[in-house]
This record gives sequence, structure tokens and C-alpha cells, in this order.
Amino acid sequence: MEKKLNKLIEDMLSRLDGISNLNDLNLLKAEYLGKKSVFNDLMQELKEVPKEEKPRFGQMINEAKNRISDFLEEKKTALEKQLVANKLKDESIDVTLPGRKMNQGSKHLISQVIEEVEDIFLGLGYTVKEGPEVESDLYNFEMLNLPKDHPARDMQDSLYISEERLLRTHTSPVQVRSLLENTNQEPLKIICPGKVYRKDDDDQTHSHQFTQIEALVVDGKASLADLKGTLLFIAKKLFGDEREIRLRPSFFPFTEPSVEVDVSCYKCGGAGCSMCGNTGWIEILGAGMVNNNVLSAAGYDPEKFQGFALGMGVERIAILKYGIDDIRAFYTNDLRFNKQFRGK
Amino acid sequence: MKVSMNWLKEMVDIGDDYKLLETKFNLMSQEVESLYKLIDIDNLVIGHVKTCDKHPEADKLSVTTVDVGDEVLQIICGAPNIAEGQKVIVSKVGACLPGDFKIKKSKIRGIESNGMICSLEELGIKEFDSEETGIYVLGDDAETGQDPLKYLHLDDYVLDLDLTANRSDLLSMEGVAYDVACMLDKEYKPVQHQYETRREENTIKVFTDTKDCLAYYGQVIDNVKLGQSPYWLKSRLIAAGIRPISNVVDITNYVMLQYGQPLHAFDYDKIRTDRILVRHAKEDETLITLDGQTRKLLASDIVITDGKYPIALAGVMGGKETEVGEGTTKILLESAFFDPLCVRKTSKRLDLKSESSSRFEKGIDPGKIKKAMDFASELFIKLAGGEVVGEYSFFDTTQKEPSAVVLSLERLNQVTGREFTVGEVKSILKRLNFDNHVSGSDVFRIDVPTRRQNMFGYQDIIEEIVRISGYDKIPLTIPATPTFGYLTKTQQLRRTVRNYFVNNGFNETISYSLVNETQAIEFDQEKLSIVEIMNPLNKEKSILRHSLIPSLLDILQYNKSRKISDVFLFEIGRSYREEKEVEYLSGLITGVYQSNLWQGKKEIADFYLLKGIIEGMLLRLHIENYRIVKAEKPLSMMHPGMVADVFIGEEYLGYLGKLHPQKEMDMNLDKTFIFEFNFEILSSAYNDDLVMVEIPKFPSVSRDLAIIVDKDLTAEKIIDEVKLAGKKTLKNVEIFDIYSGQGIASDKKSIALSLTLQNVEKTLETKEVDTVVERIIKQLENTINAKLR
Ligand SMILES: [Zn+2]
Repeated sequence: MEKKLNKLIEDMLSRLDGISNLNDLNLLKAEYLGKKSVFNDLMQELKEVPKEEKPRFGQMINEAKNRISDFLEEKKTALEKQLVANKLKDESIDVTLPGRKMNQGSKHLISQVIEEVEDIFLGLGYTVKEGPEVESDLYNFEMLNLPKDHPARDMQDSLYISEERLLRTHTSPVQVRSLLENTNQEPLKIICPGKVYRKDDDDQTHSHQFTQIEALVVDGKASLADLKGTLLFIAKKLFGDEREIRLRPSFFPFTEPSVEVDVSCYKCGGAGCSMCGNTGWIEILGAGMVNNNVLSAAGYDPEKFQGFALGMGVERIAILKYGIDDIRAFYTNDLRFNKQFRGK
Repeated sequence: MKVSMNWLKEMVDIGDDYKLLETKFNLMSQEVESLYKLIDIDNLVIGHVKTCDKHPEADKLSVTTVDVGDEVLQIICGAPNIAEGQKVIVSKVGACLPGDFKIKKSKIRGIESNGMICSLEELGIKEFDSEETGIYVLGDDAETGQDPLKYLHLDDYVLDLDLTANRSDLLSMEGVAYDVACMLDKEYKPVQHQYETRREENTIKVFTDTKDCLAYYGQVIDNVKLGQSPYWLKSRLIAAGIRPISNVVDITNYVMLQYGQPLHAFDYDKIRTDRILVRHAKEDETLITLDGQTRKLLASDIVITDGKYPIALAGVMGGKETEVGEGTTKILLESAFFDPLCVRKTSKRLDLKSESSSRFEKGIDPGKIKKAMDFASELFIKLAGGEVVGEYSFFDTTQKEPSAVVLSLERLNQVTGREFTVGEVKSILKRLNFDNHVSGSDVFRIDVPTRRQNMFGYQDIIEEIVRISGYDKIPLTIPATPTFGYLTKTQQLRRTVRNYFVNNGFNETISYSLVNETQAIEFDQEKLSIVEIMNPLNKEKSILRHSLIPSLLDILQYNKSRKISDVFLFEIGRSYREEKEVEYLSGLITGVYQSNLWQGKKEIADFYLLKGIIEGMLLRLHIENYRIVKAEKPLSMMHPGMVADVFIGEEYLGYLGKLHPQKEMDMNLDKTFIFEFNFEILSSAYNDDLVMVEIPKFPSVSRDLAIIVDKDLTAEKIIDEVKLAGKKTLKNVEIFDIYSGQGIASDKKSIALSLTLQNVEKTLETKEVDTVVERIIKQLENTINAKLR
């Protein structure tokens, strides 16, 4: 019996030597340790062994079985190691070869600026209002303190559909609509982004179509100081925390007083450079206190309500922020331009 | 308004720091367009021509010696009018004349020349002297070695103001003086004008037939000697940008600049009657204006007539017939007030914009009508030897009283957010020269003088107070009223959709809403009427677009012609209809989507790529009840075999597909796939109302199935049938292979399906799976005549 077992182990070991993959190893394992292995035959023989010898022989068989199992396990570990080593060798690549080319998507720069400005105002508690681009003369001009023969209408020569309908020249009619919609005359804080149109021939600095964002606050007490604080906040958000602003008197029919807003030059910090025409300041937008005539026209009692409005050109903001030298670039959609601005 | 500093200095003590004045204007009043030296040339000097001889080598040149004070220069001069003894303007070596013409030491035909004797034109001053030919000869009183610009009163600086529409008061030097005095806290004292008359009866009477002429003063001045104006007057006109013409015209312009009141001088002897009647023109009446043009008049025009015929277009332009010129000795001087709107309409219609009309349009100061005439009379006596005949004839119904505005300190502080005091406001009003008195403790009654025509209410007073006290003094706060900021569902969706396409490699475009007639309707689904611009910029931008596709195709073409051939675009924009504006989401794809060439991988835009991207978007928006089906009535611009309609529920969302090969050929494009959806329908279908669905606890089972069906059977039909038979147990079905060719009848195709089955309540048993698959096969056999392969 003992001899038999030794022979068994020797045979197994010699076969084990010839095995070079896990599959063959598993087959060998089944042969020796599976349900129908050689040990089954040995167990049969054990039955015929005298009773007092049984424990000794039984132990011998178990020992042999354990040894075989250990040998197999050892071989398995070795083979796996070999396999991993082979993988490391075979799968090494040239990581400097190019990766897959993915198209570079981009939001239009105008959309980016609109979203940026919207987010600033959303944080201040404003909602976003929209309105038609084909407007009535009433909303675009008359209710904004620009009666039919007002000389200021010269300033914004417009594109008309009929005597009474035109392409809006600013997003202010949305303010009028919002004031009218607000039938309970609750405090109103809105911004109005959108396309506007003027009868201008397109050139480096003019575009017959451009984009405006206007803001309007009407409540019982929104003051010029509130406007100034809001403007400073916006200027810092758009052009950097170190920016200062200054207001200069100006004129718009729908606000009184009206101001132009300058931001301290972000290139020279206010010292004066070519960007700011050596003044240290760059004009960014117009603003003012809502003209009483506008409030009255929309049915708000100027004795009880006051507020402010501001309006900026989206293209102008982008031109300043990104050093763009031709307003037509926004509408040409040359992908070599669009793809440069991939957003935040 | 171009403001001469020398002139202003005469009225207000402004000192010499013009830069400071510029800053004050910018921060307290009006934007300064520029501040510049009227004639910016150094090294000019008055020279005395000592000798003048012919150049030995050139007939037309003279060799001169010129005393310039500290030295005597030899200068070659080509002007025919050069002569010994003249006082002339010399540009010394080192001077730089307009046109970047530098004066250098030079040799002309062998003789040295050390400078140049100049004409005024060479100094950049045109028409200072209409009789000028060749070099400019100064008077004998010109001092050798001194600055010729000073002698000519051209040593001036000009502050060019960019005026806003509400500051017509700054269209006069006096208005500027008031504002400057206010800003600098100095004083401006208006001058009174006095003159003698011959105390004779005025020979002309003025009347009006229209209330659009509120005032008219007619002054007859006799013995006028037409000639040139003195240097100081010409220089001031030049500084203001007005061309000097003759003393008569120059005086009227000068007075207009001083007081903002346009004047007109008629040749008295050419007026056929002894009366001036102002009235509206009659339809089809004509007038030959000063520029020689025959003007057809309308009833809206105001005309000055001699009682019968028009002799001038009120406020706009004089008539040729009564023009002052050679031989004029007697003039009728007009100072009047015409309705701003009438003047504006006339000047706009006839495209005649003048210094005079633009002042009338913006509203002149009724307080200056007479004063301007007095000043002009004074100047005619002084500068043209004129004699005022007697009392002027006039009528005047203008409002000369100041208008009262009430403003309380409380209101001022509430609007500005700053704490003003009564004393502070009083001192600002004093600087503004606005009379006022305080009633109660803090209510101001302010008299706004007539020179400030565009002030209507307390808001205008607030503006004055704030600008003079300084915008920098306004505190920084933000509105205290609490409100909530949020985006509406549609606004949020716009961002989501934008992000989706950007993340999938698309570039967003924004293009013009105005297109040409073809583009406007080319991609219309149904017949829509066009929205046309009445006064378009040009034909290419004359109509509001219905579809964004033509614009996108233009952009594609633009980029392709610049060798950018992989183009993936989308745009969100409006489609303009007669009665409404509808928002669209449109796009196009063409070329390589993703690639890695050395790996042999290259995904090129095709219908199914686009379809996948669109389905991905719908999935992103949680829209499940959509159908993409073969288009029933494809657009003529689309490939009829490669276009699909998209429905959400029963609503038509839009289409996607390939551009028609003919259109591609016409535009020199290739394999272009486009889509156009109604964004509003997308928005209303957008579902952000989500509830968690339990993740199945029990494993799913997959089965593959290959069937043979008719070749033209759609995938949609097969999948519908599978789903119908699969019922609840069928979780998913995918097509993973399509084959036709060898081994398959020519009118058939083989389709391989992968089924995923699952029961959410328990593990599926093989028997159950078999039953469901069996049922599916039966269904396919029965309804679409499928055969198991
Ligand atoms: Zn700078």
C-alpha cells in the first residue's frame, strides 16, 4: 500500500512537470482529486485491509492526498504568476500614440455671457423674462417715454415690419410687458436677455443684430445707491474682484437720472493703457433710475414706486473680456473662432 | 459742440488746466469726445521778408532772406505773391505740417533753404481767408519773431463735447459757460448788449399765420459793408467747426454759437414787399434754397414769406432770391422761434441738417431770441459799419417764465440713497443758478430757467443735484426687497439641451434672424406667410426666417470653404410667423465624428449617428413616448428615402434626415444630415418629475433569436410585435445583426434579435423563459410572416 501510494505521487509529479497551462492543470486535478479519482480505488482496497491496520492505511491515503493537493496548488500559483508576467510583457504599448479624436463642442460665446450674467442676477434674486422680437411701436418706444416724434428715435433707426410693428431695438419692451403683467404691483426684479436689431450696416463695430441684457428693479425704495451697489457687484463678477466702477451722467429717455458705467481697466488696473485709451476706465454699460413717465405709462404711481434699470450689450462684454476685434465674428460662426471659447 | 477755450475763458475763469476741465465734464456733465490744440504745429514764427530775388536756376522760385527775430533765414519760396517787406508765416526747420510734412534743411536747385514760408492751407486751415492765393501775408502790425497763431487768434484749444439729447443748452457758449461755472464753482455773469439806432420808422412789419412760429423779431440794418470778419471772429468760428464766409454771415453764426439762437440775414432790397408773413407752406409750393436746389414744399413746412411767396424755409435754410451777397447793403435780420417738430420734419425730409436746424429741433431758449438779435445788431454796427434803422418789428408768445418744480429733501434722499442736507442742496442749486425757496422744513420750490429746455420734473432736478455733488458720493448698497431668483422650466431646459449637444461635440451657432426671400421659406413644412422688413438694409437681410437650416447651411459652407470639413452644429433660435414666434432647435452634422486613424477607427456622420444623438437627447430629457418614423411628406429639400419625422405622443416635434443630393450638389456639400425641432413642444414634453424605480433583485435572462422576414419590413414593426408578445417579462429587445444575401431569398432579410427577459418578483425558470420566447416566435410568425432561421 505504501509503495503504491509513493508510486502514485511519483507519477503525478512527473505528469505535473509536463503541464504548462491552467486548463491542463485542472484536468489533472480532477483525475487525482475528483469524484472518480484513483483514491476511490484505494478506498475500496482499504475495506479489505484488516481492521487494526485500517487507521494507519487511512492516514497514509489522506497524507498522500494532501501532498498531491499541495503540489497542485503550488503548480497553480506558479502558472498564474507566469500568466501575469506574460500579460505584462505582451500588453505593453506605446502610450505616446494618439488617442481617439473627439469633437470639441462649444457653447456660443454669446450664450456663455448670457448664462454668466443670468447666474449673477439669479443669485441676487432676479428672474429671467423674455418677450417677442417683433414688437409694437407702443411697447418698444411710446411706453418708454419715446413718443412718435422724439428726437432720440433718431439714435436708433429701426427696422420696421409696418407702421406699428418693428424689430425691437432694445429688450426694454420686455420690461414694459413685465410691469404690465405684474398686476398686483409686487416688487419686481427681472433681467431681460435677448436679440435686438438696429438699422445699421454691419462693419467692425456695428451689427444690425446684437444681444442685450437689461435689468429692471421696481419697488417702493430701490435707490440710486442700490443701483450703484448692484453695478459694482456685477462689474466685479464679470471683470474681476479688484475692479472699481464710476458713474458718469448720460441720457436715456426711459431713465432719469441716467448714467454711463465705467469699470476700472482690467489690463492696466487703472494706470492707463491702450486698452482704456489712457483713461484707466472702460465703458461697459448704461443705467439709471426708471423715468416716472415709464412708471406712469405702465400704471405705477411714481409717488409710491421707484426703481432702476440697466442695460448691457452682450457682444460688448465679450469683446472686452476676450479681446475680440470685430463684432461680426459672433455671427460668422467660423468654427476656428467658436471652438476657442469652450466655456467655464 | 466744439468749445473754444479762448472764448470760454472770456466768460468764466477756467484757468489753464484744460485736462482738469475735461475730467470735470466727463464726470459731471457731458462726455468729452476729445481735447485738442486747434493748430498743433510747433516752430512757427512771424517772419519779415528782407530780400526777395529770383532763383537763378528756376523761374518760378524766389530766394528770400527772412528775419525771424533771433536770426535771418535764407528760404526758397515758390509762391507767386511773395514780395520784399511782407510779414509772413515761417515754418522753421523742425516744424511738422499736416500730412506728416517735416520741414528740413534742404537744397533746392543748388541753393540752401532753411524753412518754409507758408500758406494757411499748408497749416491745415482751410478758407480762413477766401481771397488767399499763395502764401499768407500778415498785416504790418504783426511782430517779427512772434507766434503767428497768436497773431491770428488761432492759438486755441478745443474741447469737443459729445452732447446727449437732453442738453441742448450746451449748444451755446453761454450754456457751456453756465455749466462750467457751476462745475468749477465759479461765476458767470451774462452781458447786456446795447446799441444806437437811427430812430427811424421800421420799414418792415412781421406777422404770422401759424402757431408753429411762436416768436419773430425783424431788425432792419442799413449801410452794411460786406467784407471779411476780423481774425478773432474767424478763429472762433473755425474752432467751432464753422467756415467763415463774410462778416454778415459770420456775425449770425457767431451769435448763434454764443446764445444758441439761430439767426438769418435777408438782403432787404430783394424782399418785394414791406411785410414778413410766417405761415405753413401750401401743397406744391416751391422755393429755391441757398444751395440752388428747387424744393417742393409740404403743408407741414413752415416758410417765411413776403406776404405772397416763400423767401426762406423756416429754421432750415434761406432762399436763394434774398441771399446776402455782393452788392448787399441793407439786411433784414431774423431772430425767431419755430416749432421744433416742424423744423425736424422738414430738415429730415429734405435731408438738410444744419447748425441752425439742429438747434431749433432740440429746443432753443426763448429768453435769448431778443438778446441774440441785440448782440448781432451790436456786432453789425461794430464790424460791418451797419446802422440799425429803428425799433424792430416783432411778435413773441413764448413762455419766458421759469418753470417751477417741487422737490422734497425726503424724496431726494429716498431716490438717491444718500443723506443730503438742506444746506447742501441750497448750495448746489445756487451753483446751478436755479432760484429756489424752501417751504416747510425741507420742500424746495425750484425755478428752472428757460435756458434749460429739457427739464420736466423733480427727477431732472435730482439728476442735476447728483451730477454736481458727484456720483462718487453715492453710497453702495443693494436692493433690500427680498425676491427669489430662479429659471423657468423652459429656461433651464435650454441650458440642458445646450449642454447635451456641447458634450456630444457640437458647436453652438447664433446666426442672423434676417435672411433673403429664398432662405426664409426654403425649409417650410407648411405654407406660411413671410414677415418682411419694410425698410430693409438690403435684400439679403430683408425677411425674418422661418427655419434656421438655411443659416446653418451657410455656416457649413463658409467653414467647408476654409477646409473645415467635420462640422457638427446646433442652434436654438426663433422661427418668425405673422402672428407669433416659435422657438426651434436645429442642427446639422457632416464629416468625421470621432476617429483614431492609426487604429483604423473612423466614425462618419450618417443618419443613424444623428438619430442616436437625438434619441440620447430625448432620453436625457426623460421623454419616452416618442416615435421616429419614416416621413410621410418629406420636404423637397430632403432626401426622400432618408428622412424621418419625430413625434412625441401625437405631437409633431420635427424631422431629421439627409439633405437632398440635389441641394447638396447646388451648395457643394456632401453627406449632410440635418434636424429641426419645435423647441416649445420639446419643452412641454420635458419631464423633470421623476420617481425612483426599484432596481430588480432577480437576475435577467438573455435569448437570441434569428428570423427571416420580408426585406422591406421595418425594424419598428418587428420590435413592436416582439414587445406585444413579450408582455411584462420582456425587458428589452435589440437588433444586433441584419443580413441579406447568400442563403437568403432576394426578397427577404435575416434579422437577429437579442431579448432580455426578467421577472421583478422572482428568478425566472427556464420553462417560463421558453414559454415567453415561444409566444414571441408565434406572434412573429402570425403577424409578419417571420420564419425562424
Ligand atoms: Zn488700461
